[in-house]
Amino acid sequence: MKKLLLLSIFTSVTWAENPHEHMHHSHEGHLHEQLVDGKKLEVDPVRFDKFVMGLENSQIAVVNVQGMVCDFCARGIEKTFKKDKHVKKIDVDLSKGKVLIAYNNSQEIKFDDIKEKILINGQNAIDMTIINL
Amino acid sequence: MGIKLFIILIFMSLGLDARPISYSGGSTIMASSDNMKKTIYYHYSPSYKYSIGVENIKNKYFDESYSYARFTYLINRKNSQNSQRNLYFQSGISSKGLSEYFYGVHGDWETRRLFVGFGLKKTEKEIQDYLEQYYQIGVAPYLGDYGDLHTWIMLKSKKNSLENNWATYPVLKFFKGNTLIEIGYHKKTNWDVHIMYRF
Repeated sequence: MKKLLLLSIFTSVTWAENPHEHMHHSHEGHLHEQLVDGKKLEVDPVRFDKFVMGLENSQIAVVNVQGMVCDFCARGIEKTFKKDKHVKKIDVDLSKGKVLIAYNNSQEIKFDDIKEKILINGQNAIDMTIINL
Repeated sequence: MGIKLFIILIFMSLGLDARPISYSGGSTIMASSDNMKKTIYYHYSPSYKYSIGVENIKNKYFDESYSYARFTYLINRKNSQNSQRNLYFQSGISSKGLSEYFYGVHGDWETRRLFVGFGLKKTEKEIQDYLEQYYQIGVAPYLGDYGDLHTWIMLKSKKNSLENNWATYPVLKFFKGNTLIEIGYHKKTNWDVHIMYRF
């Protein structure tokens, strides 16, 4: 029991010492973690920051995908979107079941089109959030 | 050494049917080898629901070579946030004639951490018909990110009615990018190897 208590204390201290690794990231020029309507956006913030680095005049479609359980099965998603000339960049987040797609700001993003592209790979897109940078 | 091993593995031919259908417009080439046969199989998927392909087989048991025109159909798929379940129908007609063919089903369920799969395949041949079946479970020791090397530690059990005994043995599966390799070994059935490249 003592060991467990010590382990808990140590874990808490370790977490508290490195809060920035988990929570802190640049908020300049973009919006994430929580949307204006209060809905929580479950995207790894570090990953998101890395993804948007260098992107300007862009909007990001964050697509929630079901069935994306392995790297090998998700390959087709990347290939399909890379064929779209309006797509500037794409990232697959297996741990969150999300696909991040960067488009030009001027491009109209249609969820039905994205759903179709995900479906031809055999997975299901169930919702989407658009973030303007 | 790495290239040599890769080439050896490719020509060892295989026996598994993982990922029998690609994404729409995708092609897959795979080679497999076990104690019964060596195969090289190419398939194209016009849709994520089915694939068509050609498989060349060197049958070690009957000491003959032939090809199959193959068709695989996704009977059912269930996608959820953390898992995917699949059930496939597979069939093929031999280059030796319409009286020689195979059919079967195989299925899997997987999360990022766990895998369960099975397969049943009945082959009709003029010499002798036979039934192959396998069951496979696996666990991923770590969860890699997209693009990383992914590893699975698996246990496979298989039986061919021609031999009429079960062989259960460990299998290691690795994949990175568009390439997948599975390697298993059992003292009776020797190496069971499967290599796949998708493009």
